[in-house]
Amino acid sequence: MMESQIKSIHHKLVNKEISCLALVKEKLNLLKSNTHNTVNSLLEDYALALASKVDEKITNGEAIGLLEGIPFGIKDVYMVEGTYTTASSDLLKNYKSAYTATAIQKLLDAGAIPIVKENCDSFGHGSSSENTIFGAVKNAKNPELVAGGSSGGSAVNVAKDFTVFSIGGDTGGSIRQPAGYNGIYGLKPTYGRISRYGLMAYASSTDCVGPIAKSIEDIRIVLNVISGKDTKDQTTYASQNITEESISPNNSIKSVGYFKNFVESEAIDPKIKSDFLSAVVKIKAKGIKVRELDFFKSDTLVSTYYTLAMAETASNLSRLDGTNYGNRIEGENLKDSYSITRSENFSEETKRRIVGGNQVLSQGFSDEIYLKGLALRDQISQNFENDFNEVDVIISPVTPSTPPKIGDSLKDPLAMYLSDAYTVGFSLGQLPTLTVPQGTETGLQITAAKDNDELVLKFANFLKDTI
Amino acid sequence: MSKIMTVDILSSIKGAKPSEAVSKLFDVIKNAHTSNDGTFNSNHNNAVSIDDLREDVIIESSATEKQIIKENFPKEKKGYLVVSKVIEE
Repeated sequence: MMESQIKSIHHKLVNKEISCLALVKEKLNLLKSNTHNTVNSLLEDYALALASKVDEKITNGEAIGLLEGIPFGIKDVYMVEGTYTTASSDLLKNYKSAYTATAIQKLLDAGAIPIVKENCDSFGHGSSSENTIFGAVKNAKNPELVAGGSSGGSAVNVAKDFTVFSIGGDTGGSIRQPAGYNGIYGLKPTYGRISRYGLMAYASSTDCVGPIAKSIEDIRIVLNVISGKDTKDQTTYASQNITEESISPNNSIKSVGYFKNFVESEAIDPKIKSDFLSAVVKIKAKGIKVRELDFFKSDTLVSTYYTLAMAETASNLSRLDGTNYGNRIEGENLKDSYSITRSENFSEETKRRIVGGNQVLSQGFSDEIYLKGLALRDQISQNFENDFNEVDVIISPVTPSTPPKIGDSLKDPLAMYLSDAYTVGFSLGQLPTLTVPQGTETGLQITAAKDNDELVLKFANFLKDTI
Repeated sequence: MSKIMTVDILSSIKGAKPSEAVSKLFDVIKNAHTSNDGTFNSNHNNAVSIDDLREDVIIESSATEKQIIKENFPKEKKGYLVVSKVIEE
C-alpha cells in the first residue's frame, strides 16, 4: 500500500530533486492526453504561475509548507474564483465562479496548486459519472466500466496519478463509491466538519466535502487543512486536528460491528460477500470482538435517502432558471422562459430528481412521504447511536456489485439508486465514513460515531496491516 | 392556493411527468413502518444557537467578484443587465 505522496513530493521539492514547474507540467500533460474523460477544464496558466512562485521561494532558500506546490484536482461543483464551474451541466456550461469555496481557499492558503476542474455527474445526480455533458468517465482499472460517481473524474485522476489528491463531494456515496470502484481512499467526513460554502448544493442536509487520495496519511493531511468552523456555513463546527501519532494502529479498538442484512442481501455479489466475510475472520483473528448488527432494509435506506435528497435538490436547483445566470432561453413570457430554460438545459436524471422532489413536497404527498421520510431518518440516526454504544467502528462493503459497463446504468435508474444501498445510510446519519481499497473488489467502508473521524483513520491503518 | 398544480408547473419543466422509478421509491416509504415513540426531530442538531449567529453586516464584494457576476448574467444591453419579461397574469 502507498505511503504519503504529499510528503514524498514535498521532500523532492525541498531537496531540489524536481522543480514545482516540472511537476505541474507533468501532471497537466497527463491530464491533457488522458482518455478517461476526467477533465472539464484545466487551470493551466493559473497553476503554472503558482508553480513558478513556489520554485522561486525554494531557490531563495525560503521554507515551504507541506502542501505548498502539491498539484490537486477539484470536482467541478466547487467555486474557484474566475474558473468555469459547470456542474457538468448544459445550464452552467459557461458559468464562471465569482468567489472561491472555503475548503478550496484553505488549500490555496496552504500553497496547494489546483490544476483541474473534474468531470462528475451533473449536479451530483448519479452513481456512475455518465450523467455529464463531458462524456462518461472511464474506470481507472478497466475503461469499459464506469468510474462510479458522482465524483468519478476525481477518483480516476487520483488512481491514475494525474493529481496527487482531489477534492470530491459526497451526498449519498459520491466520494466513497468511486473511490471503491477505482481502488483508492475516499473520505466522507462527519457532516459539518468541513464548510460547504462554495459547494454547489445538491442535498444540503447530507452534502459533505472530502478528500480522495492514495494513502491514509494524505487523507489526514488534507482533512486537517480543510476542516473548521466557518461563519459562511453555519452547520460547521470546530474540530480537533488529527495527529499522525493519534491514528497509528495500536490495540485501542476493541469491537467492530457489521450489518448482517447487508451481507445476507440477495443483491450482493457472491464474491464481494465471501471476501467481506474473510476480512471479518482476519479482524477476529487479531483479537477484536466482531458483532453482527441489525439495520434497516436496503430498500428503506435507499428510498429514505432519495426522497429527502430529491426534495432538497428540487428546492436548491429552483434558482437555476436563466434569470441571474445560466443559459437563458427566452420564451413568450417569464414562466415560459423559466420552463424552456430548465427543460432544455437539465439532464433527464436531474429532471427526474427535481420532479420527484416537487412531488414529495407538494400538498397531499408531503405527510405521507416527505415527513415519513424525515421520521425514518430519525430512526436510522437513533439506530446508529445505539450501535456505537456497543461497537467502536462499523465496517461494510462499499457496493453490492462490481462496477457496471458504461451505458448500462442510465437505462435503469431504479437499479442505479439501489446500488447505493451501502453508502446512503451513513450519509443520513451524517457519520464519518472512509472507503479503503481493501477487503473486497470495491473496497470496504469504515464508519464511526459523529466527529470520530480520527478513529476511522486509525482503524484504516490497522486494516492496512491486517488484511 | 386552491388550484391544483401539476409537477411540470411546480418544477418549471415542460412536459415533466412523475417517473416510475421514483414512484417505486415512494411506495417503499408509504409502506414502511415508523415507530411513534416521540423521537421525531430528536436528532436534528444542525440548528445554530442564537449566541452563535454570524454578525449582521454587509460585506462588500471584491471588484473581481462584481465583474464576474456581470459577465455571468445571461443578457446585457447598452450597459444594462436584461431580465426576462416580467409581465404576469
